[in-house]
Amino acid sequence: MNVLTSKDFLAGLVCVLLGGLVLVVSSDYNFGTPRRMGPGFFPITLGALLVLLGCAILLTAIRIGERLPALNLRPWLVIPAAVLAFALMLPRFGFAPAGIAVVILAGMADRGAKVMTLALLAAVLVPAVWALFALVLGVPLPFVTWS
Amino acid sequence: MDLLESLQLGLATALTLENLFYCLLGVSVGMIVGVLPGIGHLAAVSLLMPLTFHVPATAALVMLAGIYYGAQYGGSIASILLNLPGTASSAVICLDGYPMAQKGRAGSALMITTIASFFGSCFAILVLILMAPPLAQLALSFHSADYFSMMVLGLVAAGSISQGRPLLGLASVVLGLLIGLVGIDVNSGVMRMTFGVPELFDGISIIVIAMALFGVSEVISSIGKTGDSARSINVSFRSLLPTRKEWSQSGWPILRGSGVGTAIGILPGTGGGSMASFMAYAVEKRVSSKPESFGKGAVPGIAAPEGANNAAAQSSFIPTLTLGIPGDAIMALMLGALMIHGIAPGPRVVTDNPELFWGLIVSFLIGNLILLILNIPLIKVWVKILQIPYRLLFPAIILLICAGVYSLDRSAVDVLMVAGFSAVGYLLIKLGFEAAPLLLGFILGPMLEENLRRSMLLSRGDFMVFLERPVSATFLILSALLLLWVIWGSLKPRQRPVVNV
Repeated sequence: MNVLTSKDFLAGLVCVLLGGLVLVVSSDYNFGTPRRMGPGFFPITLGALLVLLGCAILLTAIRIGERLPALNLRPWLVIPAAVLAFALMLPRFGFAPAGIAVVILAGMADRGAKVMTLALLAAVLVPAVWALFALVLGVPLPFVTWS
Repeated sequence: MDLLESLQLGLATALTLENLFYCLLGVSVGMIVGVLPGIGHLAAVSLLMPLTFHVPATAALVMLAGIYYGAQYGGSIASILLNLPGTASSAVICLDGYPMAQKGRAGSALMITTIASFFGSCFAILVLILMAPPLAQLALSFHSADYFSMMVLGLVAAGSISQGRPLLGLASVVLGLLIGLVGIDVNSGVMRMTFGVPELFDGISIIVIAMALFGVSEVISSIGKTGDSARSINVSFRSLLPTRKEWSQSGWPILRGSGVGTAIGILPGTGGGSMASFMAYAVEKRVSSKPESFGKGAVPGIAAPEGANNAAAQSSFIPTLTLGIPGDAIMALMLGALMIHGIAPGPRVVTDNPELFWGLIVSFLIGNLILLILNIPLIKVWVKILQIPYRLLFPAIILLICAGVYSLDRSAVDVLMVAGFSAVGYLLIKLGFEAAPLLLGFILGPMLEENLRRSMLLSRGDFMVFLERPVSATFLILSALLLLWVIWGSLKPRQRPVVNV
């Protein structure tokens, strides 16, 4: 199979790129001397270490070449989107609409999900979780709002 | 303060109504998540961490710790009844627990694992009580260079002793260290890697990282995998009492398992009790006069690992509480909870916050007693919980995560970060990166930098300071040996590790 799409090659690539990014960003910070380390000393050292580790991982990829495992595609797209929806809706509409949205959206990650079941689930969960945070723990959390 | 006085103080602290309540809450939640496959104790601890903001530090730690060791009890139930490990550390219980259940000895297996859990915990708590104060005393004489090297060993161990590829484990540690640097640098006031986002100036909250990597990512990978096991399970409760033969077969294994577990729990990087239970199983098989009976329902095969994983769960608190060096991700979360409450982790916790330290230890004893009492009579309840379908469970988990993260600072940006980190985190985990070493790096990052900076200042820029101090040199040499062993291992033609169930 193609080495370039193997699991380890991609992982190594991620390390090299992230390490490189850290090096670029941290080059603005003062490196200092070992005796008086500047704010750049630690990030630059770590960035370089990450690049080195990435290169080592790339080398092992040539020998191992394990195929990338299948992604759980639907949940991977749906669940973060549900969390995102919650984050965007909560400040504008309050906890109830955001909570209902997150339960129903997240629930759709499961292939056999039925909207009615999820709506019922939301009707039970959302007031309960709101009561826990707003009433028991005293977090100021409007149930419904409009702004 | 002598030991008796300390224990009295601990007893007085642990027996307050508030702490008793949080202990009961913690162990019950732990028991439930232990029973449920698809939600681990790491997810549960991260999920409940926001709640602990609103309670005193001692109560918070009592509850979070309760979740951890409670899950060790619950994990074996699903292993025995369904051949499905509720937690990673109880995977090995399947090997002999499920065959026992098939022979109609499920009740007896549950009884033996409960007793083994209780004994293992108590054994490790005893070691904790005897070892922690002198160790903390000793640690007071450690310098910043010693701490630096100790953390290096902890991180190297966490990265390299992992299930996956050691190189990727180490890369995960470095990644965690880097994420830990985000925010304002306390020494120079420079903003590092914040990309001008004001919400990042104070750094990224440990709760955001933990929720994203252990909560949401875990859910993403579990959906569609755990299968809705609405099977009906019939445990014959007449078989609850083990026979005389089963009792005598479990005595020594429990003791050996507890010893193995306690020792392994103290070591860095051995996370979550799964190594302890596998090791105890291997030891038992080695010393047994009938090794061929293992895997077919051998009583020592459940007694020893169950004692071991509970012992490890308790003894892993030794380095965490006395040195401030967490051995695994769950201990990193405990340290995070301490820091959230403004308590600097380290040897001073024992002397400066005795009511927290001793209260926590006594609460371990009380919690284990509660678990011992709850476990068997409520077995029907646990079996019911086991039948909750995952498709109803995970939307609830996601909702709790969202509400919990938001409640930290009432910041929608924190929730946004969870969404982002979980999507990226899931990909990284698929590529072979690991969440636990990453979290360890994240929590130790700032401390590592601070101790490095301080030692270099004291030694006037001489790196030899790390090799001149005997304590520091020992830890560094151990780290180097570990690294060499790892590199040697990854150069050799690959063989699959032996820990396959």
